[in-house]
Amino acid sequence: MPVPISQAWTVATYVVRQKLKGRKRYPLVLMLEPLFRCNLACAGCGKIQYPGHVLKMQLTPEECFRAVEECGTPTVAVPGGEPLLHPQIGEIVEGLVARRKYVYLCTNALLLKQKIHLFKPSKYLTFSVHLDGQRENHDFSVCLEGGYDKAVEGIKEALARGFRVTTNTTLFDGADPNSVRKFFDEMMELGIEGMMLSPGYSYEKAPDQHHFLGRARTRRLFRAILSNRKKSWQFNMAPLFLEFLMGKRDYRCTPGGTPTYNVVGWQKPCSLLQDGSAATYAELLESTEWEHYGTESGNPKCANCMVHSGYEASAVNDTFGSLRALWATARATFSHEYKDPEALELLKEPVQPVHAFAPLVQIEEPVAQETRP
Amino acid sequence: MSGREAGREADPQTLEVVPGAPRDHIEGWIPELASEEELRAALEQAFSYRGDVLITRKDGSTVEGYVFDRRTGRSLGDSHVRVMAKDGSGKVSVSYAEIAGLAFTGRDMAAGRSWENWVRQYRERRAAGEKNISLQPEEIE
Repeated sequence: MPVPISQAWTVATYVVRQKLKGRKRYPLVLMLEPLFRCNLACAGCGKIQYPGHVLKMQLTPEECFRAVEECGTPTVAVPGGEPLLHPQIGEIVEGLVARRKYVYLCTNALLLKQKIHLFKPSKYLTFSVHLDGQRENHDFSVCLEGGYDKAVEGIKEALARGFRVTTNTTLFDGADPNSVRKFFDEMMELGIEGMMLSPGYSYEKAPDQHHFLGRARTRRLFRAILSNRKKSWQFNMAPLFLEFLMGKRDYRCTPGGTPTYNVVGWQKPCSLLQDGSAATYAELLESTEWEHYGTESGNPKCANCMVHSGYEASAVNDTFGSLRALWATARATFSHEYKDPEALELLKEPVQPVHAFAPLVQIEEPVAQETRP
Repeated sequence: MSGREAGREADPQTLEVVPGAPRDHIEGWIPELASEEELRAALEQAFSYRGDVLITRKDGSTVEGYVFDRRTGRSLGDSHVRVMAKDGSGKVSVSYAEIAGLAFTGRDMAAGRSWENWVRQYRERRAAGEKNISLQPEEIE
């Protein structure tokens, strides 16, 4: 199982309760961004480009707890910026855990070893470590040589202390599927609980404006990566969302599925797109014109998005929408390798890795086995 | 037609790579606000801008800061821009009807650190044998 049964049960019963109440729009994961400041300057990130006085702002623990209670989700992701830069992050996480929220602390792990004493191992707390692939890919993507090694050092320390650890990986155009598959092996060998992955959102303010995956290429890339899976690989994500990325399913975006609270309030409509803010969660629900968001809305800012923040909520909603989808989820969780000979062919295609130093990867021809007469 | 506009017209389902957003060079810009349309368009630009702006009210008072929200109604009196004040005084709401002037005074934090520059620098420095190369976040002023 990629997540503990108690967590799966909590989320499942929460979703079923929302459905029984007839709520068409319900939040699944709160994205709680306690600050925008970061200690990395990643090429594909458009979340941290703000004036200094905004970067200095941070949510108080009380503001965090109020947002969590307003929203009511069973799961809270704490990204940023880099949350470990927040001077009260230990107190914030402790308060969320005390409220029995499943917390995913999304960190680049550069400070994890140094700050791990602020946290206590708990089934409610997971460090979700940002790693965009193997060493060279990750370092180039986050514009920091040595970033991968530091993150892995943090992961090992957290695992040794009994914490739950996952990775989260964002892929851009030029990602080498063979390298990503090797990266999965490396991570599972480290002993992490599972992996998360997503195509990058095309942030208008990100430094790199040339390597955001379009939908067609996203589906091909994820089909190559996620087909013919190894049994050792575990994914800490909704299985049907991964099938969506592979092109096996089609979903409409659920922009309210992962509401976002940060230093300017409740961000409209999601964590990726900034189209204003609301003072309360109730105001966010009432004042956002939800039909203006999602690929099918025709909004150009949503046109190419296949990111988990909008589509994983759709996949989870689907899971509990029919016995067929529930069965598909169970099958994907326990037994599905996604055997696909065509996807194996995709792995042989040459790639132009742009978030890595090497200018071009040449795929070697398989060496013919020596035969004896 | 910009790359992104061309991308908007393409079928998203068949798109291979998303065309990048064009960079606006509006740092230092002082827009004309002669008509309602000009005012609304300039405030929309201010909302998208990742630097501080200076708003001058018709009574001569000013507020400088980061525009984090705008709420547009049918009339200028129904429309408000919301600013995170640079002086630390918190969130300030200004009616469009009160605004006499706008200037993009702060540095555009999304400009000037392009991916291409990073790639070029990285390759040159690596070829020269440097190690521990990184692109650091800027110091907070």
